[in-house]
Amino acid sequence: MTFQTVTNELLEGFSQNCQLFFMTLLFAIPLGLIITLGSMSKWAPLSFLRRFLPVGEAGSSVGRFFRKTAVCIVNFKPIRCVTRIFVWVIRGTPLLLQLLVVFYVPGLVFNYPMTQRMPAALVAFAINYAAYFSEIYRGGIESIPKGQYEAGQVLGLSKVQIFFKVVLMQVIKRIVPAMGNEIITLVKDTSLARIIAVAEILKAAERFSARGVIWPLFYTGAFFLLFCGVLTILFGYIEKKLDYYKG
Amino acid sequence: MYMLEAKGIKKSFGKLEILKGIDFSIARGESIAIIGPSGSGKSTFLRSLINLEKIDGGDLVIDGQTVVENGVYQKADEAKAAFNKLGMVFQNFNLFPHKSVLENIILAPVTTKKMTREEAVPLARELLSQIGLSDKENAYPYQLSGGQQQRVAIARALALKPDILLFDEPTSALDPELTGEVLAVIRRLSEEHMTLVIVTHEMGFAKEVANRVIFMDEGVVMESGTPEEVFEQTKNERTKAFLSKVL
Repeated sequence: MTFQTVTNELLEGFSQNCQLFFMTLLFAIPLGLIITLGSMSKWAPLSFLRRFLPVGEAGSSVGRFFRKTAVCIVNFKPIRCVTRIFVWVIRGTPLLLQLLVVFYVPGLVFNYPMTQRMPAALVAFAINYAAYFSEIYRGGIESIPKGQYEAGQVLGLSKVQIFFKVVLMQVIKRIVPAMGNEIITLVKDTSLARIIAVAEILKAAERFSARGVIWPLFYTGAFFLLFCGVLTILFGYIEKKLDYYKG
Repeated sequence: MYMLEAKGIKKSFGKLEILKGIDFSIARGESIAIIGPSGSGKSTFLRSLINLEKIDGGDLVIDGQTVVENGVYQKADEAKAAFNKLGMVFQNFNLFPHKSVLENIILAPVTTKKMTREEAVPLARELLSQIGLSDKENAYPYQLSGGQQQRVAIARALALKPDILLFDEPTSALDPELTGEVLAVIRRLSEEHMTLVIVTHEMGFAKEVANRVIFMDEGVVMESGTPEEVFEQTKNERTKAFLSKVL
């Protein structure tokens, strides 16, 4: 068992991790933006009922309760509600479990078994990370002062122009550290895909330990460390690039 | 004919009535200062003139174009476009932090296709020389003092060649020694017969620059007249009480 053969086999496994990593980013980054739009949606289809709301303060506590309920119904935002429940479920359950669900549930419930392991892993990862990204985006968008939108508006810019010309670059600068954090976590999370038998690096190392050779298992750490080191440098570079202004 | 005419403007935030029927008109070339205690509704009134606040009642006519009739916003494109004849300068400048001084000024004219970049850049340089900041065109807002930022914000508003320029407490966020340079720029605009509406706490400035002074309190116009009439010959007890506190 030479160092060279171990390295080669682990590299082969790690290529699966890399593939999952890049594909997840490719899908999760835009999908996250769609989820953000949903979770910030202001669409309230029942708002036309507002004019039927009783005016003034209700005297009794029962009256107040009914008024509060009525206000809740009138302000109900279905898209926002559904999206936020979705984000809650995705962030509130283990990714490991989500992998199992995506891989096994189509076969068990719809009699449509998943045969491809990698695409199943990709679906679970993309959805999971999109949910986290969406909250980072939302935080970034909501952190932009209202005055920036107002300045854009009084200068005659449309909402879309304000988003792309005024807000977007400022949001990107603000979310880079949080996104860097999340993306570095993703590198290591890719090894969870072995639960549905994706032949990633830890799976490859376990094949050695099954034969009594333990050290390749620890050796895998070097691959992750190296990859994350490159990402850290990359994010440091991006932050520096965006450091030409403050605020 | 009036450049802008407002009749019976009403605005409430929830149960709190901020504007209780404001009548206001301004002719081309006039400078009007609006004074009054905090919470009197003067900023809200100014903001509703340029569509940053939606009014609940009253009429608004900009340059002969009816924009709001009896509290109903007109849907026609000409009505919406009428707001673009107004420019606004904010208390907190609201410059775009990620854009250089020059880019801040040309962003709106170029984005709204009012000018080409080739037309906008010389205009921006001309405006910068007028406000004495020619050497700062490549600086970013964070590199400027508050007074300089506010002057850039004025240049940015002027680049769109507005018919009326609104100032919402333009010096309230500045250190006392920096207010002079901003007031000097506004004074020059007034001398050039730019149509100005200035909400301000600088009584000396209001007296000197305005053709007409409006004193607002608790959502109504208490008094309106020439600076002499309001500052020196007022009969109104509320005006007297306010002026005795601030002068």
